[in-house]
Amino acid sequence: MKPELIFKSILVAAVVSMASCKPEFKDVVPVKGTADFTRYIAVGNSLTSGFADGGLYLEGQQNSYPEMIAGQMKAAGGGAFTSPFFNADQPDGSGYLRIKSFSASGLPVTETVAGKTAVRGQITLPGVGSVTLYTKYTGDLNNYGVPGIKIDNVDNSGYGNANGYFERLLPAASPGNTTSYQAFVTAKPFTFFSMWLGNNDILGYASTGGGDTPTDKTRFATKYTAMVNELTKTGAGGILATIPDVLGTAYFTTVTYASLLRGVQASAPTVTDLYIQTATGPRKATAQDYFVLTLGSANLIGTVTAGLPYGLHPLNPIENRFVLDQAEAAVVADFTNSYNATIKSVAAAKGLPVVDFNALFKEYSGAGKMVNGVTVNNAYITGNLFSLDGIHLTQMGYAIVANEFIKSINAKYGSSIPVVDVTKYRGVKFP
Amino acid sequence: MKKILLSILLAVPILGYSQSFQVNLQGQKQIAMGGAGTGVALDEAAVFFNPGAVSFLKQNGVQAGISPIFLKTSFRETGSNITEHNKDKLATPVMGYAVFGSPAGRLRFGLGIYTPFGGAMHWQENWTGKYTVTSLDLQAIYVQPTLSYKITDQIGIGAGLVYSQGKVDLRRAVPLTLSNGETATAKLKGDTHDFGWNAGIYLETISGVSIGITHRSKVNARVKDGDATFSVPDALISSFPTKFTASLPLPATSTIGFGFYPSEKTTIVFDANWVHWNQYKELAFDYDNNSRIADTKSPRNYHDAAALRLGIQNQATTRLVLRAGVGYAFTPVGKGYVTPEVPDADRLLLSAGIGYKASERFAVDFSFLYENVKTRSENNIETNLSGEFKTLAYIPGISLTYKW
Repeated sequence: MKPELIFKSILVAAVVSMASCKPEFKDVVPVKGTADFTRYIAVGNSLTSGFADGGLYLEGQQNSYPEMIAGQMKAAGGGAFTSPFFNADQPDGSGYLRIKSFSASGLPVTETVAGKTAVRGQITLPGVGSVTLYTKYTGDLNNYGVPGIKIDNVDNSGYGNANGYFERLLPAASPGNTTSYQAFVTAKPFTFFSMWLGNNDILGYASTGGGDTPTDKTRFATKYTAMVNELTKTGAGGILATIPDVLGTAYFTTVTYASLLRGVQASAPTVTDLYIQTATGPRKATAQDYFVLTLGSANLIGTVTAGLPYGLHPLNPIENRFVLDQAEAAVVADFTNSYNATIKSVAAAKGLPVVDFNALFKEYSGAGKMVNGVTVNNAYITGNLFSLDGIHLTQMGYAIVANEFIKSINAKYGSSIPVVDVTKYRGVKFP
Repeated sequence: MKKILLSILLAVPILGYSQSFQVNLQGQKQIAMGGAGTGVALDEAAVFFNPGAVSFLKQNGVQAGISPIFLKTSFRETGSNITEHNKDKLATPVMGYAVFGSPAGRLRFGLGIYTPFGGAMHWQENWTGKYTVTSLDLQAIYVQPTLSYKITDQIGIGAGLVYSQGKVDLRRAVPLTLSNGETATAKLKGDTHDFGWNAGIYLETISGVSIGITHRSKVNARVKDGDATFSVPDALISSFPTKFTASLPLPATSTIGFGFYPSEKTTIVFDANWVHWNQYKELAFDYDNNSRIADTKSPRNYHDAAALRLGIQNQATTRLVLRAGVGYAFTPVGKGYVTPEVPDADRLLLSAGIGYKASERFAVDFSFLYENVKTRSENNIETNLSGEFKTLAYIPGISLTYKW
């Protein structure tokens, strides 16, 4: 063997191996398993629509969890998926919040973005009140997320007139609609569904400090069961989800008894008590009472109204709408648990997988969890999970939701829908 | 012999470099022999490999070389069908040695410049692990003046003082969204200046086997008042740090090496390294402003790890030397501690090379090293970044030697 030949063979082998270069893993071919994702529909409320930052707007719609799931399903036999996007020239939709600046004490000051909304008018309905109406959407529809809808509303044929987000999807202008939500979503055949409903049945009560009536537990069970029966009657596969405990959201964990008292004591060190209005009259607040996020920015505590400092005197207590007192919080917990028991038992009876978002969101409370190097917790603004309204999720939060749905679908149906990259989605935007 | 060499060359894509961020590219002849060379008095690179063997070199000389590293790493997130690749970014460790003094005398002098630690890992700016790291450039160049003394014709000792000049540039994304929708970023950049030592004993036994034992000390590379550049939303910028302090232990390495001489033209070398990685417990960053971000302590908890290296060289003709080698390096990184800036795993090293003696004074040496780092599926305990890593490295190298 000639030295030149050896030299050449080394050179050739070196060039070949450097060119072949990038290491690859065993191929992953996503499969659909026993499910059929040809026409996936997403049934749900604001969380399903992509609602964030106190509003429904185009960017939120584009980054809804059903859009993410459907995008990933395409690799496993999924078909086209369409959300009722606002028009490109009306991207602000209902209008939404953004951070304008930070106050000297480091608190965010928000403002509403409403330059290019899709509002087309208002209508006042008897027994309902004023309803904001939006530019109609026509065309294919897979994402049926309707902000505000309760399980209690799904079989109501007049509901499409009372909810502007539902009205924009229906053919007639309010008050001319007679199609129930249940009938609307099941009108066109589908092969797979996700249903995440029930949050609003208790949220209205919680977020107004007990100002709304929670849906009766038995009625919830009846209507929830009927809705799932309707969705499964043609043999479509699907997935359900429990409702997270709203008391664990930034809406209720940001302003606390301790933070309020600390704020007052900064300028009035002698103050030791806060007073709240409850269903049974005013009383001293305790650490067991919950306060809503909007109380923080309202800047009311200590201001003198009717001759007395707000919140610091039993005759001028913190209004009921800002407080979910201990008794009311117990009601919220009780109804949430009851609804979730219903959801789980319906899922079990129907053989459907269920994502336990109530359990999952608890993992993100307090210090939270690291997700691909990002700290995700329920802290307002900095926690990356909740958007500026403190209840609805950030896009990153919705991506975490999408992955939980995907994992549960895969586990149940033997499919291998790839997960989404959570880090591609943003948290709260800063100025 | 040639047949054996050739069959090694053909059987595998070609022939290895490192362990975590340790770089074992210190001499082209040694690289070509799997990185072994502690138990022989081979060339000027003995300044690094065994200061005790420097006094046994038959000639004085000076050499300079370079080994560009083509590093190819892939990552696939658990549950994903997308494979992400690192960027093509060349790291170019250089090496240079000089040996002086009278070859007939007992005392010799040496000087070495080499890069025992480093790395250049660049991921795409928007990759899945961007909040853990987007790029790391790390380089510690050691300058080592050396004395070597031949106690008897069979025993030599030597030692060198190491001056380490290091630089680090670490970048990552910060989970804050700017008003234009872009992600905030952080850049941590600093220099280090530290000292260490390198000492060795070289023995030529009556059985013909030569033995080398060396120890290279730990160098604690400390960045003081490094520049922390945070590109974050304007509303928050005043609450972020501008300076940081951090330290990275560059671990000690103990080696025993052997040289066997089956024929006049053939040398077989074997090295066993023990790298004291257990000194690398955590990577801590101490910032000058903690109002928004706390100091970080990222657990590393490396454990000591061995590397085994076997090489052979054959004087094919009077001008030509053929070399080949194989090595295996055990990873110091435990389960749950793998990070994307150094996605380490056990690795196989294969190497080959040739030396060509152009004249009595000039020689050129080529080497090629192939490293195959095992596929490793990990969930990092700190960041929860979960997925598979796979790395291949291709390292060609060349050096020029002038002897007198």
